[in-house]
Amino acid sequence: MEEFFSKLVELFSTPEYIDSLWHGFLLTLEIAFFAILIGFLLGTIIALVDTAKPSAWLAVPKFICRIYVTIIRGTPMALQLFIMFFVIFAIRGFPQIVTAILAFGFNSAAYTAEIIRGGILSVDKGQTEAGLALGLPRMVIFKKIVAPQAIKNIIPALGNEVITVIKETAIVSMVGMYDLNMAAKDIGSGQNMSSYVVPMFTAALFYLAVVYLISFIIKRVEKGLRKSDLRAES
Amino acid sequence: MISVRNLKKNFGSNKVLRGIDFTLKDGEKVIVLGPSGSGKSTFLRCINRIEEPTTGEIYLDDTLITDKNIEKIRQDIGMVFQHFNLINNLTVMKNLTLAPVILKLMSEEEAEKKAKGLLRHIGLLDKVDAFPASLSGGQKQRVAIIRAMMMEPKVLLFDEPTSALDPESIGDVLALIHELADEGMTIMIVTHEMNFAKEVGTRIVFIDEGKIIEEGTPIEFFEHPKTPRVKEFLKKVL
Repeated sequence: MEEFFSKLVELFSTPEYIDSLWHGFLLTLEIAFFAILIGFLLGTIIALVDTAKPSAWLAVPKFICRIYVTIIRGTPMALQLFIMFFVIFAIRGFPQIVTAILAFGFNSAAYTAEIIRGGILSVDKGQTEAGLALGLPRMVIFKKIVAPQAIKNIIPALGNEVITVIKETAIVSMVGMYDLNMAAKDIGSGQNMSSYVVPMFTAALFYLAVVYLISFIIKRVEKGLRKSDLRAES
Repeated sequence: MISVRNLKKNFGSNKVLRGIDFTLKDGEKVIVLGPSGSGKSTFLRCINRIEEPTTGEIYLDDTLITDKNIEKIRQDIGMVFQHFNLINNLTVMKNLTLAPVILKLMSEEEAEKKAKGLLRHIGLLDKVDAFPASLSGGQKQRVAIIRAMMMEPKVLLFDEPTSALDPESIGDVLALIHELADEGMTIMIVTHEMNFAKEVGTRIVFIDEGKIIEEGTPIEFFEHPKTPRVKEFLKKVL
């Protein structure tokens, strides 16, 4: 126990260690943030194409979207990361962070697309029919009727996906990137520190803090969106 | 007002409508009867193309509506659904005013004034800011009916408007439809309410296996049915 505390003190009193953890943490956040952004934008597009009313000119895009989602969800994230690093972006000098962001972003897009698709499909068909019967154009029906109801169903699952991406970015250490996970391992194996316990638990706390903060925000948003439910009134 | 020629509708290999010819005149109140699965709801839903006909022609007045953009035409054809289909994320007021305002049929103030008038008329003015989830089935359906009326349609289609209601609210909803009928509204209604059919209908249309097999005035239909199929049907439901 005494040794644990002495290591703890050592970690927090060595600027070099703090610096490593902090930089690792920032890299983790950076990759996660942009990956989530790409995942959300691309995922939304895929979901919209997927749920659009079938028509001749959408047949090919719809097919491509299905294939994309199937491949991404059917292969390991770590393998996708390797393919991005060692096959697609195996270009000398190409910024690693961009490759990592794209790898996680493209991966997250497939899951986000499924979440959004599920949310849209969970809105009762009668809601769309009511809009059609009133003579509203499909775009208006989507914007004013379907999307607001779908969002309520989507937010909790989307929150999960955000959390998953943040934690999953830890595997960039497998391609040698210095993220929070890698920083913890690096410090732990350092000559002075020579203990994994303290840096790893410290890194865990960093992840936990971010995830906790995001869960908290999601809960708040959910509550706000539940205005039109009976549940909110009782 | 509406004429339908050789309307057919397939769901995959399932032939739901097998050639329907039908005319609806101004001011008529047509009751569509038939066993479940006979295609009567599908028939109604094809008229405003919520369900896309497989083949056939539908005219509203003199306009062929099966070959063009239907959105504008739907404004003239009101529809009331079995499950009410009030927009869950909008208040009662917004449910009533959304379409007329977005489609620029009236200004927001005009729409709200009209909506309040109609709500007062059905005794639900106090629900103006309520969300649909807090209304009873009967209340929802009456709001759905005045939502259709907001558009000042030429004809109102009712797809089993009381089938999802408890017995107590069925009366309220039927009374409102009855009132609209008395005011001269052209109405087509798919229902299982035989008494209502006799009372309000000016014509009964009986559909079985995707075809109209008998039609006539309520007296002809209920008291002197011609086909064995209708005789059998009436024996079971009356």
